[in-house]
Amino acid sequence: MEQLTYGAFSADLHQRHSGQRVPLQVSIEVTRRCPLECLHCYNNLPMSDADARRRELSKDEHFRILDELVEMGCFWVLYTGGEIFARRDFLEIYTYAKEKGFLVTLFTNGTIMTEEIADYLAEWPPFAIEITLYGRTRETYEALTAIPGSYDRCLRGIRLLQERKLPLKLKTVATSVNKHEVLAMRQFAEQELGVEFKMDGQINPRIDCSQSPLAVRLSPEELVALDMSAPKGVSEYRRLAKHDLESPPGLSHTDTVYFCGGGMKTFAINAYGEMGICVISQKETFSVRGAGTKRVWEESLLELRTRKRTQVTKCVECRIKSLCGMCPANGELENGDRESPVEFLCHAAHLRAAVIGSEVPEHGECDFCAGGSRYEEVVESARRIVTKEINVESWSGPAQVLPILNNPAAATAGCSSCGSH
Amino acid sequence: MPMMKDEKLIRSRAVVARVVGGETLVVPVRARVGDLASIYSFNGTGTLIWSLLDSPKSISEISAAVSQKYEVAPEQAEHDVMEFVGEMKGVGLVEVAAGMEMTGD
Repeated sequence: MEQLTYGAFSADLHQRHSGQRVPLQVSIEVTRRCPLECLHCYNNLPMSDADARRRELSKDEHFRILDELVEMGCFWVLYTGGEIFARRDFLEIYTYAKEKGFLVTLFTNGTIMTEEIADYLAEWPPFAIEITLYGRTRETYEALTAIPGSYDRCLRGIRLLQERKLPLKLKTVATSVNKHEVLAMRQFAEQELGVEFKMDGQINPRIDCSQSPLAVRLSPEELVALDMSAPKGVSEYRRLAKHDLESPPGLSHTDTVYFCGGGMKTFAINAYGEMGICVISQKETFSVRGAGTKRVWEESLLELRTRKRTQVTKCVECRIKSLCGMCPANGELENGDRESPVEFLCHAAHLRAAVIGSEVPEHGECDFCAGGSRYEEVVESARRIVTKEINVESWSGPAQVLPILNNPAAATAGCSSCGSH
Repeated sequence: MPMMKDEKLIRSRAVVARVVGGETLVVPVRARVGDLASIYSFNGTGTLIWSLLDSPKSISEISAAVSQKYEVAPEQAEHDVMEFVGEMKGVGLVEVAAGMEMTGD
């Protein structure tokens, strides 16, 4: 009998399937309904949205999908929302997944965690459970979530899980509302609780086409300053850039639109039973309700994943992809076109390169490269970050905690033409 | 506690097995079983033993099946099965079948 850590098991399984298209990991949305109304969220819907609730996969449909996933060789299931515990039957779905031997990760905001749920999870422990923390003070947290009382409920949820020694991790989404508390959130997680913490500053338009989350997105300068303030931030970006730049030019070129693990080893099923490349790439999804999960994976998703790109954009020849968050899903949400570069991400990537002192090889017409119209802006921002003229430790809260209310252009509703209500 | 040859053992209900490419992977799913940060894998013989433990079996019964399938001497099979099943019992992957607990002085 061999005893393997999950990390070793994962590495072994991925190695065994290297270069093959095998559905090892699925993200399943159980609902898009959520008790919070976070300004930056890409998919949340009100708890009272009866239409959303009616369209959601039933418990039995979830069971059938899990049965199919076992047959397909899938091992990791990530349950996400919305808020997963907004569904009263979620623990039944979760238990079914556990009984099938999946390694289950849970994403939650923790605000509707109860002693009963925490006790149940202690008996049936998840592989990991991640709570998103939106601030380190009540004022900031609730400025982003827009729900009074949610900060205390989140802290209670964290405490309930910690007391039971569940495999808890904390994370945050850095926005213009909570950027000044990111360091305090990290300290709370790592020093006070002794749990892993990560920050993500990538904010997209909503999947219903609304641009409203962009009202609280950090500037590229703020985002990169925060990135670099993380322990090992600079060294990690240096390592990634070195790998990219030392790889032969063309190694990362693909002739397909998608170039990530989505549709190869990972995929997503949304709350309504539609399979897609990932949870944010929702422009083209395929219902598993009729066809079945295996057939959709083998036919429709394969066709989407192997679709050829139609343009040679500046992203194709880019040699600093690891410093950039660009992917087709981001292009889809930001520009309505999977292949179209997202200028915000390109700006941030070039700024990261400048901060760590990496030269970006020419990769087509790019405003942020040497000679480009915004190159000087990148150089100046890099100087400000390196010299600590921008000091994340001295950031204070925004003068207005609800900038969205003062930015009507950004607060427009979704287009409702894409089928994501 | 040493295992008895006639003690009936069965798979723990707190673990789940998945078979991938002929290899049996056992995943602890409930608290207090095995090491929850680990996964256990068996080769061909282990897979046979695991499948036999679907219902209560004694070491003697399992050893006989292994001896027959792999054409090894009964003593050798019993030695190997004792070691393997003992390891599994030690981390909680198998347990004494309900109603079969041995009492002793």
